[in-house]
Amino acid sequence: MNWSKLIWITALLGVALSSCKKDDDDTEDFDKAALLSNLSGNIIVPSLNQFESDLNVLSTAVADLSQNSSAQDLETARDAWKNAYLTWQTVKIFDFGPIRDNAFKSATGTYPVDTTDINGNIASGSYTLGTAANADAIGLPSLDYLFYRAGALDSIQSNPNCSAYITDVVNKMVNETNVVVNGWSTYQATFNTSTGTSSTSGFSLFINEFNRDYELAKNAKVGIPLGKQSLDIQMPEFIEARYSGISFDLLRESMVALQKVYNGNSFSTGAAGVGCDDYLLHLERSSLNNTIDGNFSQIISTVDGFSTTFENAMQEDVQACNDLYLQLQQQVVNIKTDMTSAFGVLITYQDNDGD
Amino acid sequence: MVTSHNKNGISKALFKSVNIAPLIIFRIIFGALLLYGSIRFVAKGWVNSLYIEPDHYFGYLGFEWIKPLSGEWMYLPFVLMIVAALFILVGFKYRVAAITYFLAFTYVELLDKSNYLNHYYFVSLMSFLMIWVPANRQFSIDAYLRPSIRWKRSPAWTINILKFQLAVVYVFAGIAKLNSDWLFEALPLKIWLQAHHNVPLFGSLLEAEWVAYFFSWFGCIYDLFIVFFLLSKRTRPIAYVAVIVFHFVTWLLFPIGVFPWVMIFSTLIFFSANFHEKILHILRSFFSSFSARPPFNPSVLRYSSFSRKMITFLIGTYVFIQIVVPFRYVLYPGNLFWNEEGFRFSWRVMLMHKEGYATFYVEDRSTGRMSEIQNLDYLTETQEDQMATQPDMILQFADIIHDKYKGKTVTYQGQSFTFEDPAVRAEIYVSLNGRPSQLFVSKEHDLTALKYDLRHRNWIEPFKD
Repeated sequence: MNWSKLIWITALLGVALSSCKKDDDDTEDFDKAALLSNLSGNIIVPSLNQFESDLNVLSTAVADLSQNSSAQDLETARDAWKNAYLTWQTVKIFDFGPIRDNAFKSATGTYPVDTTDINGNIASGSYTLGTAANADAIGLPSLDYLFYRAGALDSIQSNPNCSAYITDVVNKMVNETNVVVNGWSTYQATFNTSTGTSSTSGFSLFINEFNRDYELAKNAKVGIPLGKQSLDIQMPEFIEARYSGISFDLLRESMVALQKVYNGNSFSTGAAGVGCDDYLLHLERSSLNNTIDGNFSQIISTVDGFSTTFENAMQEDVQACNDLYLQLQQQVVNIKTDMTSAFGVLITYQDNDGD
Repeated sequence: MVTSHNKNGISKALFKSVNIAPLIIFRIIFGALLLYGSIRFVAKGWVNSLYIEPDHYFGYLGFEWIKPLSGEWMYLPFVLMIVAALFILVGFKYRVAAITYFLAFTYVELLDKSNYLNHYYFVSLMSFLMIWVPANRQFSIDAYLRPSIRWKRSPAWTINILKFQLAVVYVFAGIAKLNSDWLFEALPLKIWLQAHHNVPLFGSLLEAEWVAYFFSWFGCIYDLFIVFFLLSKRTRPIAYVAVIVFHFVTWLLFPIGVFPWVMIFSTLIFFSANFHEKILHILRSFFSSFSARPPFNPSVLRYSSFSRKMITFLIGTYVFIQIVVPFRYVLYPGNLFWNEEGFRFSWRVMLMHKEGYATFYVEDRSTGRMSEIQNLDYLTETQEDQMATQPDMILQFADIIHDKYKGKTVTYQGQSFTFEDPAVRAEIYVSLNGRPSQLFVSKEHDLTALKYDLRHRNWIEPFKD
C-alpha cells in the first residue's frame, strides 16, 4: 500500500470509526512488522555476516593452500568451505532485495558444475568468471569439484593455474558477498516496514521465496538425482556436492534453516522470535502450525537416519530415499497452499488488476 | 405472459423519447476510461508479460482458434484500442471506433483465460453495446462535421440498456454473495482484511472479526440494492455517495486496478437528464466552436413498426442471455466454488480465495514410468497460479504436456524411452477460503483421456466441508 492510499484510508476510517471502541480479541497478538524486523535483524543479516566471515576464513585458507599446497592446507580449506556451504543454506532462502538484485543465489550455489568448463578455464588460464558461459563453473559447488576430485591435491600442487582459479572463485564470492552485505545495510529499514499485501511487499517476497527455496531444495537436492524428473532413472551426476559427499549434510542444514526461519528463531543463538508460527497461531491455525513444524522435524530426523552418502543411499536403499522424497513432497502443500492462503499472500508474482 | 399493459410498459421503456444528454456524457466518460485503461495496460508492461512472453495460452472453449499475433505485433491491438478509445472520447468516426475497440479488446480477452476478470468481461459487453447507441449525436467531432446527425433526444432503450448492464453487474454480484462462507464466516474477507493489520491506526480494526462481517454484509446489501437507490430520484444523492465510498474503499484495500473508477464514473448515467445537460453546458463553454447549434434532427423517433419489433426482439434476447448465463451453474451438481462449473461470466467478483498446488506427471505407457513436470517450464507464474485451481485449465495444461511429449524420445543414463502416446496425470491439492487443503484431482486419472467440454467433470474430488 502506498502513502497516498494510507492517508486516504486513515482519513476515511477515522471519520467512520472515531466513536467506535476497539474490541479485545482473545488470540495472541501478532505484528507483521515485528516478524520482518526479527527476520532481518536476527536471521538474514547475521547469516550474511557469518557467510562473509566464513568466506574470509576460506580466503585465508586458500591463500595458504596456493602458497604451501600441503595436504593439511587442503584439509583446512575443505573445512572452511564446508562451513561456508552450511551457512549458505540459510542465506539462499532470501532471494529478494540485494540478493536478487545481484543474482547472488545463482552465482554462489548453482550445481551441478560443468567440469569441462572448469578444466577448460584452468587449462587456458584466461577466463572471465562473471560471464554466462561460466555460470556452471563458479561458486561453492565448483570448489566441491576442485577440492575433492580424484587427484585434487596433485593438481593444486602441480598446476599454478588451478590454485589461481580456486583463488579467483573465492575472491569473486568474497566481493559479491560484500556487495550484498552492504546492500542489506540500507535495505533492512525498507524491508522491516514493508508489511503491505502487494506482491512486491517485503512480507510477500519473503513468503514466496521461502516457498521457492523449499521447493528447490526438494527438487534439486533430492528429486532430480533420484530420477523424479527422468522416469525414475537415477541421475547421480546431479547430486549436490557429489565429490565431497556432503549432500545429506547440506540437505539437513537446509531443512534446519527453513525450520528456524519458519519459527523465527535466531540464526546465532536459536532463541525464539516472531515467525510464521506466531502468525498461524494468531490466526487460530495451531494444527497447521503443528503439522508444518512437525514435518520439518520429521524430515530432519529421516535425513539423520542415513549413515552413508546420498549417492550410496540411492544405490543401496532406494526405498528409503523415496520415502524421504515423499516427506519432502507432502510438506509443500502445507507451506505453499495452506500457510500462504491463511496469510492472504498473493502467490502470483505479477501485479494485476485482480477481481 | 405478456399482458398488453406490460407490452406498453416495455414499448415505453424502449421507445419513449428522452433527452440524449446522459448518453453523450457517458460516451465521453467511457471513452476516457477506456483510453486510460488501455494506456495503463501497455505502460505496466502487461502486453509483454501476458501476451508475448508466455509459450502457451489457455483459450476459451470454442474459441481456441483465437491465437496471439507473433511477438511485438501483439502491441497492434493495443494501439488500435488506444486510438479507438480516443476517437470514442471525442466522437470521431464513432461507430467504426466503437466496433474497433470492441473487436480489439475482445480479441485480447479471448486469448487466455488465465487473465479473465469480470471487469474485462464488463468492458467487452459495454463496448459492444456502445456500437449500437447514437452516442456521437452531440458534442462530438462527427456532429460538428455533419450537423445533420445531431439529435437532441433519443429513444429510451439507448440509455436504458446501459443502465441495465450496470444493474446486472451489481445485482448478480450481490446474489453471488448470498452464500454461507460470505455471510456466516465472513470469508474470504476475513483473510484479506487481516493481512492489512499493519495499517497505522486502523490495522487492529481491519483484523477485527466484526469488521470482516460488517464489510461482507454491507458489500452484499450494497450490491443487491444500490441500483434501485440510484434509480430513485429521492435516494440518488446518498446512493451515489455510497457508490463513491464503497468503490474507494475496495480500491484502497484490494489490487483491483481501474475497476473502482469504472464503476464510480459509469454509475453517473443514473443521474437525471438535467444533471447531464448541466455538464454538457459546462463542457460547451470550454469548446465554444461546438456550441453552434443548428436544429436537431427530429427524425429520431420515427421507427417503423418492423424496426421496433426487431429492436425489441434483439434487446429481449440480450437481456435474456444476461440474466440466464449467471444462473447456468444450477445445471451442475456439486460445490460451485470448488468445481467452478459455470463460474465465469457471472459477476462473481472478489468472492473466494483459492490456492492450489499441482504436480503433473507424464507417463510412458509402455513401461509405466513417470516423470514429474515442472509447470513453470511451460507456464508463467500467473498461468500456473490460475491453472492449479481451475479444472478446465487443468485439462488444457495436460493437453499441452501431452503434445510436448508425444513422439518424443528421452535418454537417461544411456536408456532411451519414446513416448508413443503419453498419459498425463496430476495430483492437486486446493485450499478454499483458507480451509485446510484437500485433494482436488487424484493421480489415478489419465487426464488425456478426458474431454474438455461443458459436461460435469466427475473426476474432480468432491469438496468436503
